[in-house]
Amino acid sequence: MSERNYRLVAILMFVFLGLWALISLFPYYFQFITGFKGIEEVNRITPTFWPDEFMWSNLDLIFSDETNVAALLDTLLIASANTALAVFLGSLAGYALARFPRQAGGENMAFWILSNRMFPPVAILLPMFRAFDTVFGSTDNHISLIILYLVFNMPLATWLMMVFFRDAPRELEEAAYLDGYSPLRAFFKITLPQVVPGMMSVALLCWIFAWNEYLFANMLVGSNVAVNTIQTPGFVQGAQKLWNLAALFSLIAVIPPVVLFLVLRRYMVRGLSLGVVKG
Amino acid sequence: MARVVLDNINKIYRSRRGNVHAVKDFSLSVEDGEFVSLLGPSGCGKSSTLRMIVGLESVTSGEIRFNDAVVNDLEPQHRNVAMAFETYALYPNFTIEENLGFPLEVRGVSKQDRKKEVRRIAGLLQIEDVLDQKPGALSGGQQQRVSLGRALIREPAAFILDEVMSHLDAHLKFQMMIELRRIHQSLGRTMVFVTHDQMEALALSDRVAVMHEGRLQQFGSRDDLYHAPNNVFVAGFIGEPPTNFFAVQPEEADGRLTLVSDDGATRFQPSDHRAATIRNRGGNSFVVGIRPQNLTRVADGLENSIAATVLLNEYSGERSILTLTSGDARLQAVTASGDDVGRGQEVDLFYDPDDVLVFDAETEDLLV
Amino acid sequence: MARLEIEGLCKGWDFPVIDRMDLTVEEGEFFVVVGPSGIGKTTLLRLIAGLEVPNEGRIVLGGKDITRLPPYKRPVAMTFESYALYPHLSVFENIASPLRARRLPRAEVQQRVMDVARLLKIDQLVARRPAEISGGQKQRTALGRTLVAEPEAFLLDEPISHLDAKIRHELRAQFHTLEALRRVSNIYVTHDYAEALSLGDRIGVAGPGGLVQIGTAHEVFERPETLFVAEHMGQPSINVLDCELTSENGVLFARHLESSLALPVAQPHVERLNGGNVGRVSYGIRPQYVSVMEDGENLRGEQHVVDGTVTLFEPLGTYAILIAEAGGATITALSSPEHRYEHGESVRLVVDTAQAFFFDRDSGKNLVL
Repeated sequence: MSERNYRLVAILMFVFLGLWALISLFPYYFQFITGFKGIEEVNRITPTFWPDEFMWSNLDLIFSDETNVAALLDTLLIASANTALAVFLGSLAGYALARFPRQAGGENMAFWILSNRMFPPVAILLPMFRAFDTVFGSTDNHISLIILYLVFNMPLATWLMMVFFRDAPRELEEAAYLDGYSPLRAFFKITLPQVVPGMMSVALLCWIFAWNEYLFANMLVGSNVAVNTIQTPGFVQGAQKLWNLAALFSLIAVIPPVVLFLVLRRYMVRGLSLGVVKG
Repeated sequence: MARVVLDNINKIYRSRRGNVHAVKDFSLSVEDGEFVSLLGPSGCGKSSTLRMIVGLESVTSGEIRFNDAVVNDLEPQHRNVAMAFETYALYPNFTIEENLGFPLEVRGVSKQDRKKEVRRIAGLLQIEDVLDQKPGALSGGQQQRVSLGRALIREPAAFILDEVMSHLDAHLKFQMMIELRRIHQSLGRTMVFVTHDQMEALALSDRVAVMHEGRLQQFGSRDDLYHAPNNVFVAGFIGEPPTNFFAVQPEEADGRLTLVSDDGATRFQPSDHRAATIRNRGGNSFVVGIRPQNLTRVADGLENSIAATVLLNEYSGERSILTLTSGDARLQAVTASGDDVGRGQEVDLFYDPDDVLVFDAETEDLLV
Repeated sequence: MARLEIEGLCKGWDFPVIDRMDLTVEEGEFFVVVGPSGIGKTTLLRLIAGLEVPNEGRIVLGGKDITRLPPYKRPVAMTFESYALYPHLSVFENIASPLRARRLPRAEVQQRVMDVARLLKIDQLVARRPAEISGGQKQRTALGRTLVAEPEAFLLDEPISHLDAKIRHELRAQFHTLEALRRVSNIYVTHDYAEALSLGDRIGVAGPGGLVQIGTAHEVFERPETLFVAEHMGQPSINVLDCELTSENGVLFARHLESSLALPVAQPHVERLNGGNVGRVSYGIRPQYVSVMEDGENLRGEQHVVDGTVTLFEPLGTYAILIAEAGGATITALSSPEHRYEHGESVRLVVDTAQAFFFDRDSGKNLVL
């Protein structure tokens, strides 16, 4: 390819990507400005692309309502607890499948675990509902959702962690045994650090799933425990359709995943550069 | 068939953490049909150079020419070079025959012609009996030969071989070296071979380009590198066991110039013309290099010697290697395998003044 | 007391890799296992280390049966061919690892790690990560990690094979002089026969099923018990010609089956070969005992001259290989790199027949030991 053609292609590429970025970012922009509009402006027939006046007081309206704050905190608790459990248990199970495939049931077991993600989620709704209701007396609590989300996050975490552990050199572990570490200590000191980058991606995936889940949360919880995905539509289900608050609340709900991603990304990148040993 | 010319090549890798100048003002001309090795320790820039020749890496400045045609901007597939990789890079689910025929298939050669070519190459490499097997069933040496065969089958302008022997056992490596040399003799193609192993480079090539820290240190035949190494690095890198070095000062007595080690314990007599060069040049500090093979326990007509104390006598089959001390310096010498001189013994090591290499202490360049 | 005894050791998967091996390595001994790759050398080390479980047999270290102990309870230290350095830990922490495992006090760890690092000349690098140091430095770090542990046996798997000649020679000398190695039993694995000969107090040549010959360097190189041993020691490899022993005019000859080459059998060998009544043999002569006859050179003793033409001449750094065709047979000789020979040039080859070996064609056994 000649130098000129190359430059032309590069320019076209940038134009295309720029347009793409605009299209992708527009909903966020619109959500942002809607969140700070007054209710009258939101309900105008012709939409405005810049608020007449930024209603910063909308923030007060959101945070002065305890149920909104509780919903955010409940979601945070459920997503984090669920992620911690999924990653911890998934790492142990993934390690077993990677290092002792025969004792752990082999490829079939690994596939069976993954296949739990293949049936329609609704299929387990009724049995789970019954089960939680029987055990906890009600489904409207944190623990029900934490356990329920494990049904989806555990197979993913197990499968991915298995792949990461398989790629981690076995010799490092053996070297650790010869240094005198018991298998459990070698696992935590040597093997686990090798898969931290992978683990961070798994954690992020699990956390985001739990943070954004709506269907099960809607069925199981609602009065004692609220989550943000149920809380958001609440703003427009009453007599007054508070679109501006709905937009602002969901905008706030986007912030934690973004922060989490930025924090975890550092570990992911650092982990990747550790792999460079050639030369 | 091609002459490969690298003209003042530079390669700079730019990154946020700073630029890495991997190849510096590198010029080299490989004649048509010549076998040239790029030799150097890891990180010396030889792999970057090779990747630029093949087109896998862009050239920061300078020109690469095949038969006078500049190829800097040609994509790898249009350069008509074949490359064999360190890691074989065979397709695991193809048979050996399919692996070998693949480059021809891509070029639309008919099935019949393909079969004929594959047989010919397989015969050359002596892998006819494994043609229907998959790579997994082959030994390392056989896989390496298939990988070579896949490069050879294309009849390209030049062959590029990247560390193709580093995974082979010493025993097998030796056979492969001789085989590859034969193949080159019978095909007469231009070949560029990259390695960090000086023995492979010397055994295979007509000329060797020694690289260090991105720069070409010397380009020459085995005899050039061995008898007239350009600098301390080349002298130390070529030859096994490595060359002995001493920091020395010239001393004049009775019209004779002697080079005395800094601790005063070891004295070397350079050849007359080197002594003259040292006198002309003046200066007070030099480096003497002498190869372990050129220090012998048998006088055999040699008049000059140094005294040393044996530290270690390592038997290695065909020969033994002595590690000795002379003053504060440690040195090695090669002796006959039957020599049973042991630790603590004092010995005289004889040498020919012509074999005493003298380098400038500051620039580390050979005095000529 | 750190003597290592191996009794009737068996290990195999689809086929036996180690078959009823017996071996004793004394305290302070440096035992080298040499052989081609894939023959089970590493498996032997892994069995001793406890990373593999033997099918049968016992491993006794310092008088204690360790066959069933898990690796972390065995007093052994091992280096891996790939070094197996922990990428997320500094050089210091890598070396300190065995001490940390025993939860030694901080000051003692610091002291011992730095002692070892100084000994191996890597004390300037202790803060770096493995990715930031060179191959030779990685190797020293791996060695440091084993040395610091003060085990009863050192297991070293190809520790210097992948390094430049210069560093290799430096480290080789270090193995000879390291005091720490002289207090325990050592097993060193390599595929490089020169390294094995130079380092080993005794050498075990690994072949199919285990060690096919055990002896000192001089024994395994100069008195190989089988053709396998002879073929795997020496570079270039020993010349092997399939021959028939025939008597002509009272002189016993080894006549090559595929060419017209015939070499007289040296006097001491005639007797051991039962006057030639063994029929066909594999005749082995090392390239170092075949040389090019120079003008005015006189023959000594059992030297015999054959005419040949050069097919390949390859000057290496310190010696040259000359491959010639003599009467239809291909013979490799060692020669000086300073004299050039052209393809097709006629040469007279001097064969020192007193240095020849005669191997049984079926069992490969050396008939003239």
